[in-house]
Amino acid sequence: MEDKKPLSPHIQIYRWHISSLVSITHRITGIINIILITIICIWASLLLLGESNYEVMKYFLSSLLGKFFILGLTWSFSFQILSEVRHLIMDLGYGFELRTSKITGLIVIIGSIVLTIFFYLIGKNFI
Amino acid sequence: MVQLNLPKNSTVIKGKYFKDKTGSKNLKKVNVYRWDPSSGGNPRIDTYEVDMDNCPSKVLDVLNKIKNEIDPTLAYRRSCAHGVCGSCAMNMGGKNGLACTTPHSEIDGDIDIYPLPHLKVKKDLIGDLDGLYKQYKSIEPWLKSNSKSETKEIIQSKEDREKLDGAYECIMCACCSTSCPSYWWNGDKYLGPAVLLQAYRWIIDSRDSEREARLKKVADELKLYRCHTILNCTSACPKGLNPAKAIAEIKKMLATSNL
Repeated sequence: MEDKKPLSPHIQIYRWHISSLVSITHRITGIINIILITIICIWASLLLLGESNYEVMKYFLSSLLGKFFILGLTWSFSFQILSEVRHLIMDLGYGFELRTSKITGLIVIIGSIVLTIFFYLIGKNFI
Repeated sequence: MVQLNLPKNSTVIKGKYFKDKTGSKNLKKVNVYRWDPSSGGNPRIDTYEVDMDNCPSKVLDVLNKIKNEIDPTLAYRRSCAHGVCGSCAMNMGGKNGLACTTPHSEIDGDIDIYPLPHLKVKKDLIGDLDGLYKQYKSIEPWLKSNSKSETKEIIQSKEDREKLDGAYECIMCACCSTSCPSYWWNGDKYLGPAVLLQAYRWIIDSRDSEREARLKKVADELKLYRCHTILNCTSACPKGLNPAKAIAEIKKMLATSNL
């Protein structure tokens, strides 16, 4: 009897809102960052093994997929940092009102895109 | 462990369709989660066409109308119908709330009604809240005082009393706890917003003399720190309380005290 009881639907039916979206993205970008930083470290250590090894990675990064990779990394970093600041403020006990959390969430989302463009322009020596 | 999919016996299938018999022009489709323990099988979604011209404003009124006029087999908890008892907590339009205080006009399109999320279903819209009540008991939600006198009242200043505002109003409807993804994945260990708000309510009560013991008790990686400030709880609370902030306050107290 006990085991027959079904589990009511949860994530399948629950409506997303800004704050839950930012929270889950924060976690996903955290994992992405760990993986990508590791790859960057490996790339840096390839320097020690000589130029040709380093060139392989450089070749990859200048391909279309590589550029997407870099852009994704930049966005992931930007999002993580902004969201982390939001979490720090919440740890101090501020920003829990629904309106405030919605506004700060939106700042994180829009800010991460703005920061990505900003970093891209710096990288391209436009700024 | 995070289990995104529903178990096999819980996947929802399409159920019956109850066509309108009143001939009304103002119809609304209401999709309701159904599961009957006596017949077993998988839960299903029944669809009812409800005449909105002769229906009062709240979702509970819609359910009452279905039960009284269309399908008397529908089971759901309800009692006061004024947002005080917390019986009719359920998931409407993808958000938890009390059916008696949620206007159906706030839900666009079809009205989807499910039991509170991630609970064992007893029947239709009735979820099993035993786990939550056990956790509530575990925080010992009663006054513990060193006062020897049994005849003298324990005085509380106006300022100290004000600290309880926003915590004592909780009606334990479980809308917040069952809206929390952390509670879905770790509900067996994580106390969840409803119980932590009550833990906070007793921690900050100036008349209580077990503050430190209470703090020590919740200071646990799983019991307390599974809160990741998703804020589903605060946005779900039908009484406008803020469990997420209360949890943050407990974390702050733990970070600043020497226990």
